[in-house]
Amino acid sequence: MRPATARPEDPVAFERGAVVRRAEFEARVDELAGRIAAAGAGRWLVVSERGLETAVALLALARAGGVAVLPPNRQPETLRRLGAGTRGALPRDAPARGRPLEARAPDREAPWVELYTSGTTGEPRRHLKRVRHLEDEVATLEAVFGSAVPAGAPVFASVPPHHIYGLLFRALWPLAAGRPFHSESLLHVQEILARMARVEACALVSTPVHLRHMAAGGGLRALRGRCRAVFSSAGPLDADTAKAVAECLGVSPFEILGSTETGGVALRQRSVHGESWRPLPGVRIERGEDGTLIVSSPFASEGEPAGGGASRFRMGDRVELEHGGGFRLLGRADREVKIAGLRLSLPAMERALEQHAWVAEAVLLARERGGETRVAAALVPSAAGRAALARHGRRAVGAALAEHLAADFDPVLRPRSWRYVDGLPRNAQGKVPRAAVEALFRAGPADGAERGLRAGPADGAERGLRAGPAARRRERWLRVPADLPALEGHFEGHPVVPGVAQLGWVMEEAAALLGSDPRVRGFEALKFPTPLRPGDAALLRVELEGPVLRFWLGEGERVFASGRCVVDAGGGETP
Amino acid sequence: MSTPGLENELKRLIVETLALEDVDPEKIEPEAALFVEGLGLDSIDALELAMALEERYGVQIGEDPELNQAIFASVRSLAAFVDEARHR
Repeated sequence: MRPATARPEDPVAFERGAVVRRAEFEARVDELAGRIAAAGAGRWLVVSERGLETAVALLALARAGGVAVLPPNRQPETLRRLGAGTRGALPRDAPARGRPLEARAPDREAPWVELYTSGTTGEPRRHLKRVRHLEDEVATLEAVFGSAVPAGAPVFASVPPHHIYGLLFRALWPLAAGRPFHSESLLHVQEILARMARVEACALVSTPVHLRHMAAGGGLRALRGRCRAVFSSAGPLDADTAKAVAECLGVSPFEILGSTETGGVALRQRSVHGESWRPLPGVRIERGEDGTLIVSSPFASEGEPAGGGASRFRMGDRVELEHGGGFRLLGRADREVKIAGLRLSLPAMERALEQHAWVAEAVLLARERGGETRVAAALVPSAAGRAALARHGRRAVGAALAEHLAADFDPVLRPRSWRYVDGLPRNAQGKVPRAAVEALFRAGPADGAERGLRAGPADGAERGLRAGPAARRRERWLRVPADLPALEGHFEGHPVVPGVAQLGWVMEEAAALLGSDPRVRGFEALKFPTPLRPGDAALLRVELEGPVLRFWLGEGERVFASGRCVVDAGGGETP
Repeated sequence: MSTPGLENELKRLIVETLALEDVDPEKIEPEAALFVEGLGLDSIDALELAMALEERYGVQIGEDPELNQAIFASVRSLAAFVDEARHR
């Protein structure tokens, strides 16, 4: 990882205002490599948010024939677990002395870096990168993006160096291309903007979260002409943010699609490609029979051999191939989500929650809030969990469960909303319908929605009217009679209550709430996820928030109708 | 505004901005850690909170990551920063 033209005085990295030049950098690598070799190489933990420290350790390990273990976070449990079986943490635990090792070409097949993601079992999953995987990708990055970043322009980063994207884009690529990089991982927008404003030209390695905040403030515009290239990965960049960044800086961000298993897969610059992704050179893509993206790439370290050192790996993204070699992404096929760039398998976290004595059953949702994805947890507490809720309260129980998850999951992945229900609805396939769980979170905590998901009326009898707080909400159990007139003509042999009849009940309930017949101005988010049949009992809830009427018709396991509409109260007064 | 008054205002701002559920603003200890331990906030929250401070109080944090970490340590340190920045 050294450009052929490197001179000893070239800056390699900036750290706390100081410059580390090539000669000093190489000396640090030689020294550490010697110490590692004195311990007999092996696997070593590299725990650092700093690009410089990480780069020195990685290059020293390559030179000494050792392997870097990069933990996905700094949780004590993660470090303890991944640290077991290593020789310790670099540079702390390396022998104090060794003979400096001179640079030599590393074995391209040698194992070099272990990266970790949250696996489907809750255990962190290991991904081993050989020297060639990273070397080849770095060469490709320079070939594709090199001309966009002026020679000598420093690289700033808001992503840590211990995930694949940060490792490649903010450390290994700049090192190999002779571009200095800033060692710190910058969190706050002001930290990033102030540093970039002091240089003539630079590049930014960032994420959708950071770019969204930068574009929202006014500071980005001042960097026009200075910030020459912006990279965004670790999650989808929304079109508005991409556009706002391009307007401020005069350059459209490079979006990178990739994964820990495959490395970089494709790129997109919205000003050039629109919504279409283009595979990186050397990467071949196919659409599998199940509609998901299959990648054959020399940077991929997992999957089946695909010839010429490439591996063929099935990603979880649903894809549509386009003429001319591009493709579009249609969302994930599985229940895997990305939050702040970190991959989360929802089933893995559900299993981890179910291992807690207070949890009998867990169902997680990824929900959008303020442009970010967050996890929401619907739980069926065990007897012990119910006792804990009664004794300690919701806040304490949620905090204890979050603490339980901390052993396996990054803090940013923790559920932000918790709902406790007596039972979770399952459909015929044994799956919990998303709409039913979603309804729990659309309402606030500890109110009617949690009741609504309970097992339903024990006897199926109508429970009569129940007015919500300040009569802004009404709830009523109803049962569909077998001779409902609306059933006529609706699918002979398979009677189903038409949506319009269900909306009729909603309007009756709304009229009772408003004290007059409501005038409705259009329905929104209207859904009828489950057919409503004669004999079904269902809870109907209507809720008024300003002029917006929300409604939900469902029973224990099923949601029959949900949606909202804007209502005028007619001539009547609302109570 | 007196510091206790500002602290209470910040507690409400935190709970509202970050849509924290099951958290009573009055029960947040002024000295308790906001991030990871204590209230359990994370990096996305930090960005949102910085933006909320700017919108509400017109104050902007600086460029020093370590100083910023100290500012966001607790409600008390946040209040001290806002108070000082407003009178600068």
